[in-house]
Amino acid sequence: MTDVESVTTEIIKGKLLATADEMGIVLVRTSMSPVIYEVLDFACGVTDAQGQLVAQNNGITLFTGTFGLQVQSMLRKFAGTIADGDVYMTNDPYGGGTHTTDVALIKPIFWQGGLIAFGIAVAHWSEVGGKVAGSLSPDSTEIYQEGVQFPGIRLCRNGAVLQDVIDLVAANVRLPKHSLGDLNAELAAVRVCEGRLHEICRRYGTERLTATFGAILEQGERLARQALRLIPNGVYEAEDFIDGDGNRDLQLPIRVRVTVEDEAMAIDLTGCVPQVPGPINCTYSATLSACKTIFKAVTEPTAPSNDGWFRPLRVVIPPGTVFSAVRPAPVGWYYEGSAHVSELVWKALALAAPHRLTAGSYVSLCATYICGRDPVTNELFVHIEPHNGGWGAGPDKDGESGLIATTDGDTYNYPVELIENKFPLRVERYRFHTEGGVGAGRFRGGFGLERVYRILTDDAFSYASIGRSIARPWGVAGGEPGTTNYLEIISGRRRFRGARLPHTTLKKGDQIRIVTGGGGGYGPPRERDPELVGQDVRGGLLTPQQALQTYGVVLKEDRTIDHARTAAQRGGRGRRRPAA
Amino acid sequence: MSLRVATDIGGTFTDLVFFDEDATATGLAKALTRPGDLAQGVLDTITLANLSTDAFRYFIHGCTVVINAITERKGVKTALVTTSGFRDVLEIGRGNRPDLYNMRFEKPRPFVPRHLRFEVEERVDQHGTVLKPLRMEDVEEVVRRCRDAQVQAIAVCYLHAYANPDHELRTAQHLRRQLPRVAVTVSSDVTREWREYERSTTAVLNAYVQPIAEAYLDNLERAVSTRGDLQPHVMQSNGGTTTFALAKRRPIQLIESGPVAGVIGAAAVGRLVGEPNVISLDIGGTTAKCSLVEASTPKVTTEYKLFQTRTFPGYPVKVPVVDIVEIGAGGGSIARFDPSGALQVGPVSAGADPGPASYGRGGTEPTVTDAMLLTNVLNPDYFLGGRLRLDRDQAHGAMAKIARGLGISVEAAAVSVVRLVNANMINALKLVSVQRGHDPRDFVLVASGGGGPMHVAALAQELGVKAAIVPNYPGCFSAWGMLMTEPRIDLIRTQLRRTAEVTLHEVEGVFAEMAREILAQYAADRVAAADVRFVRSLDARYHGQDHTVPVALDGALADVDRIAELFHAAHKKAYTFDLPDTPVEVVNYRLTGYHLARRPDLRKIERRPGDPPLKGRRVVDFGDAGVAEAIVLERDTLPAGFQRSGPAIVEEASSTTVVPPGGWFEVDEWGQLHIRLEREP
Repeated sequence: MTDVESVTTEIIKGKLLATADEMGIVLVRTSMSPVIYEVLDFACGVTDAQGQLVAQNNGITLFTGTFGLQVQSMLRKFAGTIADGDVYMTNDPYGGGTHTTDVALIKPIFWQGGLIAFGIAVAHWSEVGGKVAGSLSPDSTEIYQEGVQFPGIRLCRNGAVLQDVIDLVAANVRLPKHSLGDLNAELAAVRVCEGRLHEICRRYGTERLTATFGAILEQGERLARQALRLIPNGVYEAEDFIDGDGNRDLQLPIRVRVTVEDEAMAIDLTGCVPQVPGPINCTYSATLSACKTIFKAVTEPTAPSNDGWFRPLRVVIPPGTVFSAVRPAPVGWYYEGSAHVSELVWKALALAAPHRLTAGSYVSLCATYICGRDPVTNELFVHIEPHNGGWGAGPDKDGESGLIATTDGDTYNYPVELIENKFPLRVERYRFHTEGGVGAGRFRGGFGLERVYRILTDDAFSYASIGRSIARPWGVAGGEPGTTNYLEIISGRRRFRGARLPHTTLKKGDQIRIVTGGGGGYGPPRERDPELVGQDVRGGLLTPQQALQTYGVVLKEDRTIDHARTAAQRGGRGRRRPAA
Repeated sequence: MSLRVATDIGGTFTDLVFFDEDATATGLAKALTRPGDLAQGVLDTITLANLSTDAFRYFIHGCTVVINAITERKGVKTALVTTSGFRDVLEIGRGNRPDLYNMRFEKPRPFVPRHLRFEVEERVDQHGTVLKPLRMEDVEEVVRRCRDAQVQAIAVCYLHAYANPDHELRTAQHLRRQLPRVAVTVSSDVTREWREYERSTTAVLNAYVQPIAEAYLDNLERAVSTRGDLQPHVMQSNGGTTTFALAKRRPIQLIESGPVAGVIGAAAVGRLVGEPNVISLDIGGTTAKCSLVEASTPKVTTEYKLFQTRTFPGYPVKVPVVDIVEIGAGGGSIARFDPSGALQVGPVSAGADPGPASYGRGGTEPTVTDAMLLTNVLNPDYFLGGRLRLDRDQAHGAMAKIARGLGISVEAAAVSVVRLVNANMINALKLVSVQRGHDPRDFVLVASGGGGPMHVAALAQELGVKAAIVPNYPGCFSAWGMLMTEPRIDLIRTQLRRTAEVTLHEVEGVFAEMAREILAQYAADRVAAADVRFVRSLDARYHGQDHTVPVALDGALADVDRIAELFHAAHKKAYTFDLPDTPVEVVNYRLTGYHLARRPDLRKIERRPGDPPLKGRRVVDFGDAGVAEAIVLERDTLPAGFQRSGPAIVEEASSTTVVPPGGWFEVDEWGQLHIRLEREP
């Protein structure tokens, strides 16, 4: 590569990132589903002609890991017939996707008769039909209950949308206006991609564009290999449980063995529980994507992601497990399963990569569905909501409170004022769940949240899938475990507490209380700086009794630290020096 | 003498520009900014310009006091009062992780710690109906605890206060009575839009800086209002001005006080030359700022997020701010290789100290300024009018690192640095234009800042705008822009209704009420109702969408269906499609009241026959446009109507204008340079 070419490559790289961002802007701005426009449950990207991801916008970690597989499955399926003006549509979890509600639109992009790239947009539609409104039934036993499947079909030919497909979609979903609105938004996004790539070809030529694709992938690979050098060679293992499969309240054992050798990493998930007749399963593509998330996290989290990064990564898993389900297993709540894949790999590497990883978090998106009929407009409403929770502490920081789980990324919580304007619901409380506490430690976990809804319609129902309800978020290096997630339904004097909630009818005045867990601690609690303990007491996060019992810190009447008695208290229990 | 004076505080310099209204004379002064005593820097410029404050008829100020206090976290001890059950909304924020793969991500830290966040029993619903009355005992408890904690400012933010602010106002009234020395901000006074976290942050930041802004403005007012009847004004983020008195109540509206003036200046340049559509580009030492002006109106949004980056969520500030995209690309931007070996320019900047290597002040990193010197665009003996001699050897030595890395000559490396920084700027310019549905061919690019005139021709070429304009005083353009502004008040009300269910009478009623409030605010400033011009718009969306599209309402509405028609058209323009069968919802009412103040008449320059003197010739590397010998001209000597084709370099004390081969330029009757270029093939 000559001088000017390497600079041109950087210029084109910048343009590709700007293109992915622009696709995202267009998608958000035109979407009809709150889960897309408010929670930003979507992602956009550009792949090369072979389906390798070269640029993506900031979206959801789990989607960006699947782009390559989805495009490659279109390449196989439509081999020989891919034409300019085509757009493909897929939501097939067994064809590189995640679950049926994540619908990908893929546009092959041509220049002067040759295929040069693909534009891809994936977004979570509010509705794709199936057993329940919102499509993700917590008690489904087969994928057929999870809505209409688009197994990689042509949506457009010669640039025109095929009306037959639109009619089929409209007939099979409960909110056709929203679903087709989202389809339009995704279509606008992939068309923007084509326009921008054409501008690049016009100015710099396809050869330079293709060379840039190659350079991006090589740069990613090189950086990943360099970063792997910072993790000591070794075999790292972890075990954990998935709490409940959707239909049964049992704990499913899972395990991982991560091998780091120089500039390569292998993740072996052999030995995990077989697939279950509940929607907690994930397909291989979702599992691979969840592994990529942590691989990126332990290498270089901030650099733009592309498929070159993952060349040093190998993922091994036999088919038919909860993380490598085969058709027709249901996978509606796959993101609960895949969150555990990420957490498990994270847990294995936590001590090997302390510069990148913290103690265990609340893990589960704790997604709740509240649906029903609005008594004023008489229209169906579907309120899908992931919940934020507590993250684990690091070797030098407390955990974050009320942050979205690993599976999501640049996703926003719902403003209370917006919900109350939109749905027949009232939010009665939204705050740190201080009563539940967090994992204590030299640095403590972050706080989970408490959110309470009051139902304002007689025609409503809810379902939810909340994980980490039995096994607590793990602590590191003597830090204590955090607390669990749960949900309560309060109807008059009856109170039900659960986690994987099946379809439950609700009436006016009922309350739903969602509580998310606090993160795990890092290091022994008695090594925590007494000033930080005092701060937590003054802020109402900790009682003086807890300060004494857990941290050995004695407070005076005015809530400042009694250093002498604290030293005596801590010394009396055999204080150890903090590890280096 | 009767003077209109504008002063603008920047990171390095404080600028002053003035017009003498009697003689239409103009002048300027530049003094070093004094970080410890910003007002003193302003007084220094007045002294340097040799002006008497007794002659001031109009004084306008662009200040950084608000943004500095927030950036350095040097505001006052602030408390927050919330609806019971929602104490932690401020700290929970929106809970997003834009730094997707960073498992050690840190959320924005709140400006009020938990022990100073107090809950009060009360509740209002989305229609403004009171569900639970305000419990005054709780407010009394807040008084006690704020007194104990020696709090200096309190923000009050209750749920749905945008729909009914009564509880907030009563709370504030009680707090003010009991704590007369504490600054109290109510959220509904700062913004009447929905979303409780965003409103809370805005109210908190306003409270946090209020005592500081008040002291600063009082101090400055005393210094400049020596005659006693001067009503000094300050530049607001919305592109208009307000009195010091109103600014002290809502100082958060000054958050982008300085930078927006450059956009207003660009709009004024456009009006002057008959180009209503303008893209403004201001390139300084550290950043480049772009903004789009359509129909002579800058875009104003309430989506501003302080400190937001690709990996940090920032702090939302829901006050009207001129929509500016800012990127880390300027004269001091450093060129270096990233860990993968790719050449990057910026966002790290050498700043003013030590500055680029060629400043000879100890900088060793190659910067854009060094590259401009090595390509011969810059004249080393005429930088800042010759006040700073640029050292070519230092620039060469620093750039050699890049040259070695790329395996090319130092001169070629300098060209590469310029190409890369231009590419970054192009992406920002496209973000404000193409990506928001505007065709650059309908726009002129107005370039300011010390760096704007150097880069503008190359950028205009790639963007495909009609022409580029280099205004007068490009180095003090923000201060100049302030003299072109007028007082402005923006009000916004969230009131969610479908167009099919709302009557024309109701729509007009909301606007009429807002107009009364604006006129009342102006009346306090002794402005007559007849001198106020109103501009109305709505934020609307399709039922089911969340994000809104602004709909301008020009003139009277014949009937309410017209709103939906205008919305369909606006949506199609912004997003390529419309949905004529979907119900349209009005979300926000926006009313802007401009005070029609007199703008200064600009002085025209002479039209002289014959060519101006040639200052010299030098061989310049124009990058994509090739290497060529350029003529060098001194800007002050160019007469009106003068035309010349490139390659040419026009030098002035505060900047250097580049006209590449294939381009040509013309001097207009006010002395502004118009550059035109060949179209891209």
